[in-house]
Amino acid sequence: MSGLVELRLGFIPLTDCAPIVAAKALGFFEEEGLDVTLSREVSWATIRDKVTVGALDGAHMLAPMALASTLGAGGGEAVPMIAPLALNLNGSAVTVSVALAKMLREIDPEGMAQNPITARPLARLIERRRESGEAQLTFAVVFTYSMHAYALRYWMAEAGIDPDRDVRLVVTPPPRMVEQLQSGGVDGFCVGAPWNAVAVLEGLGEVLIRASEFWPGSPDKVFGLKADWAQAYPDEVRALLRALIRASIWADDPVNRPELIDLLARPEHVGASAEAIGRALENEITFHAGAAGRPRREHALWFLSQMARWGQVGSKPDFDAIADAVYRPDLFRAAAASLGPVLDATLVFEDVSMTPSAALFDGVTFDPTDVAAYASRFSIGRLTL
Amino acid sequence: MRVLVIDPDPARAALVAEGLEGIKPLEVRQATIFDEREVAEFAPDVVVIASDSPDRDTLESLREASHNNPRPVVMFVDRSEPGLAEQAVRAGVAAYIVDGLAPSRVRPILDVAMSRFALTQQLRGDLAKAKADLESRKTVERAKGLLMKERGLDEDGAYRLLRKLAMDKGRPIGAIAADLLAFAGILRGDAS
Repeated sequence: MSGLVELRLGFIPLTDCAPIVAAKALGFFEEEGLDVTLSREVSWATIRDKVTVGALDGAHMLAPMALASTLGAGGGEAVPMIAPLALNLNGSAVTVSVALAKMLREIDPEGMAQNPITARPLARLIERRRESGEAQLTFAVVFTYSMHAYALRYWMAEAGIDPDRDVRLVVTPPPRMVEQLQSGGVDGFCVGAPWNAVAVLEGLGEVLIRASEFWPGSPDKVFGLKADWAQAYPDEVRALLRALIRASIWADDPVNRPELIDLLARPEHVGASAEAIGRALENEITFHAGAAGRPRREHALWFLSQMARWGQVGSKPDFDAIADAVYRPDLFRAAAASLGPVLDATLVFEDVSMTPSAALFDGVTFDPTDVAAYASRFSIGRLTL
Repeated sequence: MRVLVIDPDPARAALVAEGLEGIKPLEVRQATIFDEREVAEFAPDVVVIASDSPDRDTLESLREASHNNPRPVVMFVDRSEPGLAEQAVRAGVAAYIVDGLAPSRVRPILDVAMSRFALTQQLRGDLAKAKADLESRKTVERAKGLLMKERGLDEDGAYRLLRKLAMDKGRPIGAIAADLLAFAGILRGDAS
């Protein structure tokens, strides 16, 4: 017996599992009195189920998954979850096959020369394919309730493409994305790091828009826990958050990057090439800087606005109440402030006063004070409020 | 009734399929990956999927996108049997049933899957232990040989010395033997 509190945490092989993997490898959990066992999972549904039944105490989660689970979206059981820490900002991207990129360049060279690239060239191609009776293009995301799904849907709809009608939208697990792109099973996808870089490095894909271009400081993954577990074990939650915050600071520091890449590249973690993993860590993913770890309620509200927009929430929910129940910046703040002796607290909050960018790539500003109005402003959507 | 077993581990899937033949399902098929066309063609009533299959999320998404798919599936949550879903999750099994099928018909299928998963895990554990035992026996033999050569002991004396060290340190004899070999290697300069 180690005398430490034994906990099990789950993660999916993606670059943004870094804070969890690093906290374990560097002994940060142990320094907090926790004996953490990591469990590598290959599906988000399994992460959700294991947290639900207590087979995992906490996990790497898609931010909207914590909201969807709390709401019981999609006919599932409503299981309240909390997100007291954002694991990262940015990291995902929309990638298309080289064949599709070539077609897009032929049909709309000006559109493809823009930065970031909008879905307008794709809209023109879809229109032409429809006229000539060609099959629909297939795009993949990793989970229905994910930043990837909402970013891809938003990006397409901005150019007049209805993601439910004009393309075939499927769910494909991240490690299968690249082989699907190669086999022609999918024409494009929106997935997290390192899989976009893997597709590019293998000469199979081309990135059209990155999360940081779609929405500077895009929310992405969170550390999620079951709400009743977190309530029953406040000391463990704080200890976990302290270790993860320290690991996020470590993971952000360029000095540690070679060690981080080496750690993530191992087969028991992400299991991708060091080069592919390194790409998104360079000027894209942020783990801690600018209070990236603080779960921001405006992010939760944006996700809820998109869930409403695409008809994933039925009757008009109380957006503010749900956001505040799931996103728990108070727990983040308490854990970060308690790191004082280890870490200068000002580091944690240095630019917390800075409001994150509220404007997405199309220049439309998200107004978190009126989610319902924002959700209904889009011409393409399945709003049922 | 048609049952599809999706498991990246073909040996385990075969065990599950074999177990299911003993109960009522009419047809059982196994696949290592989820293939939409294959599934549409087979039209299963129940899909049993291993939670270590990455295809689980694809299957999961079908319940939200039923308008695009002819085979809507819902996750099996039967509130009349508390603890069953939890048991299945812990066993590493998830089941999806086609809308309209009574959840009670899935119970025996899930029971078979869970017991076969547990059996596979036990068999794999036994195999790993047997391998480790064999490895440890080889290590002990080599350590004995080293002691016989370096200390001029006979085989019995070398073994007694190893056993005494193991008892003194409260560690398995295989671990003591491995340490001894490692240190001998360092003294010879293997790790320099």
